[in-house]
Amino acid sequence: MKKKFIFYLSIIVLMGSCYPNGADYYEELDIVYTDYDDEFDFASLGTYSIPDQIVKITGELLEGEDPEFVKEPQNSQMLAKIESNMTALGWTKTEDPAEADLVLFPAVWTNTTIYYWYDYWCWYYPYYCGWGWGYPSVSSYTTGTFVMTLVVDGDNYIDPARVWTGAVNGLLSGSYNVTRVNNAIDQAFKQSPYLKTN
Amino acid sequence: MMKKILVLMIFCSLFITTKSYAQQESYMSLQYSVSFGTGDLGDYISAASWRGALLEYRSAVKGKLMVGVDLGWNVFYEKKDYDTYSVGTESLSGIQYRYQNAVPILVAADYLILSSESLVKPYVGLGIGTIYNERSTDMGMYRWKENPWQFALKGELGLLYELSYRSSVKFAAKYYNGFKSNSLDGQSYFSLNLGMAWVL
Repeated sequence: MKKKFIFYLSIIVLMGSCYPNGADYYEELDIVYTDYDDEFDFASLGTYSIPDQIVKITGELLEGEDPEFVKEPQNSQMLAKIESNMTALGWTKTEDPAEADLVLFPAVWTNTTIYYWYDYWCWYYPYYCGWGWGYPSVSSYTTGTFVMTLVVDGDNYIDPARVWTGAVNGLLSGSYNVTRVNNAIDQAFKQSPYLKTN
Repeated sequence: MMKKILVLMIFCSLFITTKSYAQQESYMSLQYSVSFGTGDLGDYISAASWRGALLEYRSAVKGKLMVGVDLGWNVFYEKKDYDTYSVGTESLSGIQYRYQNAVPILVAADYLILSSESLVKPYVGLGIGTIYNERSTDMGMYRWKENPWQFALKGELGLLYELSYRSSVKFAAKYYNGFKSNSLDGQSYFSLNLGMAWVL
C-alpha cells in the first residue's frame, strides 16, 4: 500500500515539475495599449504641440513644487521617436500649444511590487504564520509605464478632452533599453491608423 | 520527463500487484495522456497537450460491465506570437501565454466487447461528471483568469492487453465534452492514453 502511495505521489510531483513556464526575457512582457474617441475627426486636423520634457509622475504634486523629468538622453530619444511617428501620420509640430489643434502629453511612472512569500506557508505550519521570519527573503519587481495622451480643447469643449491614449507597460530591467522603448512607441502608433491626418 | 513516468509505471507494475488480473474483480489504472483541444479550447490553444495523466478505478458489476471513476489532469499551453487584440476602440499588443488545466472527474462505465478471459480486451466506455477548467491568459504583467466547473460527458474506445496475470497495458482514445458555463463556452478535447492497469 505504501509503495502504491509513493508511486502515485511521484507521478503527481513529476507532472508538477514539467508545468509550462512563461516569459524568459524582459521584452516578452512588454505590452502596448491604445484607446481613442471614435467620434473625433482626426483627419480634419493637422497640427500638434508637445512639451520638450517628459514628466515623471511620482505622487501627488504639492503646490509650487516642480515635477521631475526623464533624464537625458532618454528624454530626447523618446520625444524624437514620438515626433517621427506623428510626422509620418501627417501631423505638423507647432511650438505654441495654444495654436495647435492637439497637445500630446508624455509621462512616465514606475511601480514596485513586493511579494511576501511567507504568507503562503500558514497552511503548512500555523506557528510560522505571521511572524515575519521570512521578511528578508522578499522578491520584488519594478514595472514602468509610459503614457502618451492627445488632448483637444477649444470653443467646442468645456474642458480639455482626451481623444487618444497610448500606453506602454513593461518590466524594468535596471538599464534603459532604447530599442525596447522605441519599438513600443512605434507599436502604439502602428495600431492607431485612425490618427492619420490629411 | 514523460519517459521517466513511463519507466516508473512499468517498474512499479512488477511489484505492487498481488492478484491475478484474470480475476478482474477490480483494477486501478494509471495512464499518460496526450490531448488535443477541439472547439473553443482548440481555438484558444491549438498546440497539443503533452502533459497529462489519468487515474482510473474500475470494478466488475455484471458480466462484461465494469463501472468506476476517472480522475484526470491535462495541461494545455501555448505561447502566442506578438499580436494585437482589439475590442471596440481599445487595442492591446503583446505576447500572450495561454494556459488551461482541465481536470475531469467522472463516473464511468466500460463494456468489454470480448470475453473477460481473453488476452486482448477491447471495450467501449461512457462517462458522466464534471470538468474543472482553469484558464489563464498572461499578457505583460497581467493575468486574466477563468475557472468554471462544467457538466461533462465522455466517450471512450480502448483495449486492455494482458501482460501477465497481474497487470495489463491499457490504451484508450477518449473524447471529453464539457458544456457551456456562465464564463466559458463548452470545453472539449480528444485524448490518447497509454498506461498500466493493476488488479487490486
